[in-house]
Amino acid sequence: MKIPELKDLIIRSLDKESDPEKTSARIEEAGVIWKFSEGFQDKVLETIFSAGDSVVRKIEFVRNLNSVFYRIAITGVAAIVLLMISIFVIQGSLSFDSFLGLGDSYDESIVYLLTGN
Amino acid sequence: MIRESYRQKSENELVKASLDGDKQAFSEIVSRYQNMVARTVKGMLGDSVFSEDIGQDVFIKLYYSLSDFRGEAKLSTYIQKIAINLTLNEIKRRKRFFSTFSQKGNSEMYEFEVADNETEGKKEAAELVSKALMSLNPKFRVIVAMRMLQGYSTKETAEMLDLPLGTVLSRLSRAQEQMKNILRKL
Repeated sequence: MKIPELKDLIIRSLDKESDPEKTSARIEEAGVIWKFSEGFQDKVLETIFSAGDSVVRKIEFVRNLNSVFYRIAITGVAAIVLLMISIFVIQGSLSFDSFLGLGDSYDESIVYLLTGN
Repeated sequence: MIRESYRQKSENELVKASLDGDKQAFSEIVSRYQNMVARTVKGMLGDSVFSEDIGQDVFIKLYYSLSDFRGEAKLSTYIQKIAINLTLNEIKRRKRFFSTFSQKGNSEMYEFEVADNETEGKKEAAELVSKALMSLNPKFRVIVAMRMLQGYSTKETAEMLDLPLGTVLSRLSRAQEQMKNILRKL
């Protein structure tokens, strides 16, 4: 099949009215065949039956690590939002001074606090 | 002879035997569905060594979740769902990785090794389809791969992806528009 013909077939395969089975078969005939390499089946069986439970533990570990990461991130964001709300409620603004707890302080009192004069 | 007897077994028989620890039965399942998984994984990730790893993960996950398979749906649907989920996770992982560590698109990672194709024309065809799929938005890519490479109907695709039929239809139509633009440039 020539390339312009294949391009046309790809576009037509996405028509709602097209027959997906027929078009996928034609695309396969054109040479679009993806297979795993030789020995794929043996590799899968070897991994499962030789490694036993360690494989499943590894998969579970990675999956859990991913979900833990998201949970920590979400908790962190929630904590920051709560902190900002409480700062706003206590200090009445979200300025930099409010973050440092200096919202209600006068410059003179800070100088007094730092120097004692 | 033994292998022949497994070939004649039904899906449910093979699942039951695999759960009882029959290695040959699970080997038959891998043999029956590996090409289907290859089409999904390689269609969505490109034809590279990384796809082989995901393909292996699909069958490893299948093996350890066989007890959850109740036989209400076809085994192929169950495997296909695992393949889609793992592939989409990999796409997300790569997207995060490349947006963090590289300014280059991840398409540069794919090699096109279409060793089994007999002629140059066929190789060219496989490369064209692979490049076009890789250029599609992953949200559309999965729908296109299901339809174009696996021959699933819109209804089957919706069931497989747990999406409403209307969503699949609208994504299909948008995917077609995006595909037209991509193919014009290739």
